Amino acid sequence: MNSSHDRAAMVIWAIVPAFLGVAAWLFFASPRAEIPRGEVHLVPLADFQPGARRTPLSDATKGIVNGTQRACSECHKLFTPSTADKTNLMQHKEIVLKHGMNTRCFNCHDGANRDKLVLHDGTLVTFAETPRLCSQCHGTVYRDWQRGMHGKTMGSWDASSGNQKRLTCNECHDPHAPAYQLLKPLPGPNTLRMGDQSRSQEPEETHHPLRRWSQPGGKSPEKSNHEDTHKDEHKEESKERGS
Amino acid sequence: MNLRIWEGKSVDPSADATPKHSRRSFLRSGAAVASGLAAMAAALSPLRELKDEDGFTVQKFLQKHYKEMTPEEMQQALKRIGDEVEKRYRIRPDVRDIRAKSGVEFVYALNLSRCIGCRKCVHACVAENNQSRAPQIEYIRVIEMPRGTLDVEKGDHHYDRPTVPEGNHFYMPVQCHQCANPPCVKVCPVEATWQDADGITVIDYDWCIGCRYCEAACPYWARRFNFAEPQIPADHINPKMGYLSNRPRPKGVVEKCHFCLHRTREGKMPACLEACPTGARKFGNVMDPNSEVSQILKTKRVFVLKEEVGTLPRFFYYFDERYPYTLDPEAEEIARSLGYTNPYTPEVPT
Repeated sequence: MNSSHDRAAMVIWAIVPAFLGVAAWLFFASPRAEIPRGEVHLVPLADFQPGARRTPLSDATKGIVNGTQRACSECHKLFTPSTADKTNLMQHKEIVLKHGMNTRCFNCHDGANRDKLVLHDGTLVTFAETPRLCSQCHGTVYRDWQRGMHGKTMGSWDASSGNQKRLTCNECHDPHAPAYQLLKPLPGPNTLRMGDQSRSQEPEETHHPLRRWSQPGGKSPEKSNHEDTHKDEHKEESKERGS
Repeated sequence: MNLRIWEGKSVDPSADATPKHSRRSFLRSGAAVASGLAAMAAALSPLRELKDEDGFTVQKFLQKHYKEMTPEEMQQALKRIGDEVEKRYRIRPDVRDIRAKSGVEFVYALNLSRCIGCRKCVHACVAENNQSRAPQIEYIRVIEMPRGTLDVEKGDHHYDRPTVPEGNHFYMPVQCHQCANPPCVKVCPVEATWQDADGITVIDYDWCIGCRYCEAACPYWARRFNFAEPQIPADHINPKMGYLSNRPRPKGVVEKCHFCLHRTREGKMPACLEACPTGARKFGNVMDPNSEVSQILKTKRVFVLKEEVGTLPRFFYYFDERYPYTLDPEAEEIARSLGYTNPYTPEVPT
């Protein structure tokens, strides 16, 4: 009886340092998990401004000539060009005409009234009516645009609200060179989940389901010498960007 | 073994003379209890790192579920959120609770023939929705994939090209698909996320317990978790906020794309759409047969991502009849064979 009583007392006394040990361990040995926050990289708001891609010539067809606004006809009434062929232009040489087979100014511009555009049947249209003009050749795209399947709609998804604005052809495309210019992409993800898995880092880790494993040009990642060159190039690039 | 911490009655009949609580037993029991409490306090010690900005208030703790709040309680909650934002960012936000309209079901359509992978949508979304800049959270991810395949495993998020589009690749932005049969909603143990009447799956950030089941359940990788307190520079805060959408999230909750519901429920377009330079993104009400998305669903070749998992997404991808020739090497080839020297190849801006 007495011995068990003593043993119980000993156990209780042993609990005290055990608890204190646990307390110390919890307090010091379990620091808060550090979340890698990374640095704040802000993309300038100007890089993704909403709205039309370009501002087309307005219906007033004003161009800036010697610092003052002039309508097209103000100059063009003074002289008649001998040809509408782009190659012989003496003015407007800055215009880059890359519109496929459409290489004649008067395919779209009216020879007599320079403030207007002209359809194939001779009907004059204003600059705001470019979809009508473009539809003469780009019928399928025009059909899509009418239904809102091509082009961009601003303002509202609700047509009945009256705030909907469907951008016209020349608010996105330059009529003289309608193909889109290539763009510099904005920076890619550096999120905790996806990480900054740019090609330079850990190229040997190819099992990640969403990691790039096909290199540009269809080279397989097994070719380690290619990997190394990519790695070095990218490192240099990132250094340049950082500086 | 007879381990008696409490020396109760009739342990020893001869011990009647001694008091039940001897000084010694009291001391050792007291020491054991005190050290046990110390261990518990140490175990709870991470709580001492709770700061003001963690936003733990009694009012927030006692706040009801979104669907159970009365209008007055909602007003109180909105005021509390406004105060918190003002305290932290020195901006008085316009926090509102915007409910779904009847007769509206939102659908997104994205034209893969037109997307050029410029990532403007990604960053417009980040700016609109007050997403954390560090650690970075982005709702939209753009996958670059080789042409002729739709194998996401061959895709790349981290493409870093001097210019896009790159001719041999196409680009597929992925964000929340607002599924009609959402697996993320089914797994939520506390109903902090649900599908609203207009089809948008929303999250009550004050109700989310951060278990991340939904993140695991989503087959589209659409949900994001706030591992750390979101960092947003005060001058980049968008003050127009919605309770269920873009108000600043606390640490430890899940968030995702909500079709910019604070904009779209008021008739506006989502931010990603307005920033898209090519018009590849289309948004609208599928209940309206003349809306843009209805027309697309009727006439275009439309597909959804991972159709086989049965989630019934409201986010559709479609193609035009033909690639625009800037993306179509075949068209260039035809043009060349017809004798047009170089009309179709766009020049890389220098």
